Amino acid sequence: MIARCLPLLLALCLPAAAGVFSTPQPPKPPAPNKSLSVVRVNATSQAYDFVRPWAKKPPGTRRGLGTLIEGGRLLVTAELIANHTFIELEKAATAEKSSAEVECVDYECNLAILKPSDPAFLAGMKPLALDRSSRVGDRATILQLEPNGEIAQTLGTVTSISVGGYPLDNMGLLLFRLSAPMQQRDGSFTMPAVRDGKLLGLLMRYDARSQTADIISTPVIEHFLKEAAKPAYGGFARAGLAFSSTRDPQLRRYIGLKEAGGVYVTDVMKGGAAEKAGLKKADVILAVGGHPVDQDGNYQDPDWGRITFSHITNTIFHPEDTLVFQVFRDGKTLEVPVKLAARDRAKIISESSVVDRPPRYVILGGVVFLELSRAYLQEWGGEWMKQAPQRLVFLDAFQNELPEDRGKIVFISKILPTPDTLGYEDLDNLVVSKVNGKEIRSLDDVVAAAQFPVDGYQKIEVDEDPGLIFLDAASIEANREALVRKYSLPSLQRL
Amino acid sequence: MFRLLIFVLLVAAAAQAAPVAKSVVRIEATFQEPSYKAPWASGEVSSGVGAGFIISGDRIMTNAHVVSNSRFLTVSKEGDSRPHPAKVLYIAHDCDLAVLTVDAPGFFRGTSALDFGGIPEIESTVSVYGYPIGGSRLSVTQGIVSRIDFQTYSHSGMDSHLTIQIDAAINPGNSGGPVLQRGKVVGVAFQGYSGDVAQNVGYMIPTPVAKRFLKDIADGRYDRYVDLALSYKNLFNPSARRALGLQDDDRGVLVGSVYGGGSSDGIVRPGDVLMAIDGLPISSDATIRMDKDSVPLAEVVERKFKGDTVAVDVLRGGKPLQLRVPLNGPWPFTLHSNAYDEDPRFILFAGLLFQPVDQNWMSEYQPDDLRLRYTFDFFVEDKIYKERPEIIALSGILADPVNAYANDFRHAIVDEINGRKILKLSDAADEFAKPADYYVIKMAGSGRPIVLERKAVEEARQRILSRYGVTKEQKL
Repeated sequence: MIARCLPLLLALCLPAAAGVFSTPQPPKPPAPNKSLSVVRVNATSQAYDFVRPWAKKPPGTRRGLGTLIEGGRLLVTAELIANHTFIELEKAATAEKSSAEVECVDYECNLAILKPSDPAFLAGMKPLALDRSSRVGDRATILQLEPNGEIAQTLGTVTSISVGGYPLDNMGLLLFRLSAPMQQRDGSFTMPAVRDGKLLGLLMRYDARSQTADIISTPVIEHFLKEAAKPAYGGFARAGLAFSSTRDPQLRRYIGLKEAGGVYVTDVMKGGAAEKAGLKKADVILAVGGHPVDQDGNYQDPDWGRITFSHITNTIFHPEDTLVFQVFRDGKTLEVPVKLAARDRAKIISESSVVDRPPRYVILGGVVFLELSRAYLQEWGGEWMKQAPQRLVFLDAFQNELPEDRGKIVFISKILPTPDTLGYEDLDNLVVSKVNGKEIRSLDDVVAAAQFPVDGYQKIEVDEDPGLIFLDAASIEANREALVRKYSLPSLQRL
Repeated sequence: MFRLLIFVLLVAAAAQAAPVAKSVVRIEATFQEPSYKAPWASGEVSSGVGAGFIISGDRIMTNAHVVSNSRFLTVSKEGDSRPHPAKVLYIAHDCDLAVLTVDAPGFFRGTSALDFGGIPEIESTVSVYGYPIGGSRLSVTQGIVSRIDFQTYSHSGMDSHLTIQIDAAINPGNSGGPVLQRGKVVGVAFQGYSGDVAQNVGYMIPTPVAKRFLKDIADGRYDRYVDLALSYKNLFNPSARRALGLQDDDRGVLVGSVYGGGSSDGIVRPGDVLMAIDGLPISSDATIRMDKDSVPLAEVVERKFKGDTVAVDVLRGGKPLQLRVPLNGPWPFTLHSNAYDEDPRFILFAGLLFQPVDQNWMSEYQPDDLRLRYTFDFFVEDKIYKERPEIIALSGILADPVNAYANDFRHAIVDEINGRKILKLSDAADEFAKPADYYVIKMAGSGRPIVLERKAVEEARQRILSRYGVTKEQKL
């Protein structure tokens, strides 16, 4: 009904408008057929439940646009396909469909490459080249799909180019910010932004109130594609340090800093690139890779202007590259080569995001053991920092201060009441230090230690009250089947 | 969740009210709450009404919260509405009781002191007297005793004592009034829930608590409650019982934590099983039988005083042991208590306001800073008090060029000043008093130091004091 009325209204209005303006509108250049470069992506996803780690949450569907880029690769945001169970591609105009697989995904930079199951699916489509020359003030267009398959275009202006937070993994990477008045449309999860027929980036976040869109920038996309082309994906390096500005003249005089710029190193991550290179807290970083760094940590990038120097370490350079840091320490200026490295995920005590893989758990006689991750804490919702169990929130927040060999933080998330756990029903979120006298640094340790009950008891030591928990080893063994059946558990462990 | 209510009872039977009217007084208090955000300034003045009752020795008993932070108190008798200035003789914030007196000669003439009774039976009827919202005439309500249990006393927010729940209508407006049965005081009405949480639930302080308070102050000083300073957990689990060498006899609780600096520190150990206290067998649900009632085992200690000892029978590694625990104060738990009648302590240096963090400070500032929240929340549990007896935080900044770059450090904990570990507020005062070219303040956790040049600090001093109307630079 509405669709039929709309053209009619337009037809009536246009002549009237033409009559108002004294000069006729110049004819618009024919827009390139953008629909040839984008396909609709329908991703069904199902997140894991970290409170009931044996179950998955109800499935949901996200829709977005995949953009075909040079090299025949279909680019989407990683968020779109996080925890996916099924991905479907759909040509907007013809509704022709194909399922797809993820060829490469990196949640730190929020990008993924999809590969259609039907190799011929992308035939006839026109890839977009990457735009390499956008500047603040440039106009760009965000593409959306109307339900009928038409492309809706929203014109916006690049208002800033800076290093900013990417949503999934606390990574700071180059962002384009666009000011554009967008409307909620079918498939709002990933949308390409284009300029002069080239891809500027993928929209990953839109704030309706301020009408600003955050765009994953082309340098980040290029870095991701370069890594994806390697036999082993190396990702984005982290220098492994935190710094603060040296704007305070009193601080500058106190540390004897004469140069105009430099940032003060406030923290060096254990096992990170900076620590291995010998950088220390209280060092002042004067230059990185030959680029002088100002008081706020910015350098002058030939393409993007004044941006944070982390762009050099994480996006321009790649893991395994070596970069020279010029450092001011104790009145002297040193040249420190830093061999860049991506984060060693195996060494992370509490991971900030756990995607595409199920949480590990062990259930012993009704006692549920988990390894701490931020994903667990985030089950408490937006206010999780205040609502989630505080001991665990603090352990997660200050994990860099824990001993490097701490291993995972294993804790009892809850007790499934059974005859074996009588009297323990109210225990939850207790950090486990030992099981049967053996130190616990992972769930595997729990499983191994449980093989050796002490005097017939599983003896669990926890950091907080009640301190000690005993389970009858023979009885929990005998009650395994009943526990599985009563609580409909698919399995008593998943490692 | 708890809201302190001041209770009033509407006088139902005039015949009953007549003798009691000679014993109940109306208390009007003018308070001044300290200002933590501008500690050099005097706080806001407000007033409130509560009830009290006359006890032996020409004294008036009421709730501590009726007279806390008071600057001026008056009491008036029923049928004689003249207000008489009164003063606080003793106040016990940990059990929400206070004793007042009136200097005006002849005030107590014609009044009759009430006597204390025992613990009333469940389902027996009691009458609650007091002055509800805005009223000036005595009111009474009636109810029955619903249950007897331990409850948190919301005045301090962290002390739990024996409490009697009654179903008499209880409204904001007259805490401190007596609850009577057969002419004797069986409790002091003191708190309830707001209507959206629970209805017909009111609480009174029972006589063991009131009597203990009177006994404690008999020597002219209030010494506070004593505490075992340990935590324990029920022992219902059959495997746990067998593993700990216990029989299937429903006795014993497992000690979880023993708090450093507390009474049991170095005597009782985590993992011990408490079997009996002062000879009374402890059930596996942590109760004992006392005066025919089943009460939490802590009740034994509740009735003791500073310097007393308590006998504790424990099972350690399967072997019975008899321990004696000398009882002392509750430190370091007071950090988590609401404090009253105390002026906030602080140092103002270069426009930076440093304060020791306690419950009052936390309620006032409600910081988001995770490290501060951790240090406060786990101060006792993680034995943080051992390294840092006081948590000194940068609580506010009076903006001035000298401190223009200190904003990132709001609510951070001061770790060092000029290389000295800051363990208490006076350490900071000492360091700031020493002449130095630079004052370098390191905060806990990572971050750059705050650097203040002496010259800049000196130049800023008068400027800040006059611009912000600061009348006092420190209170240690």
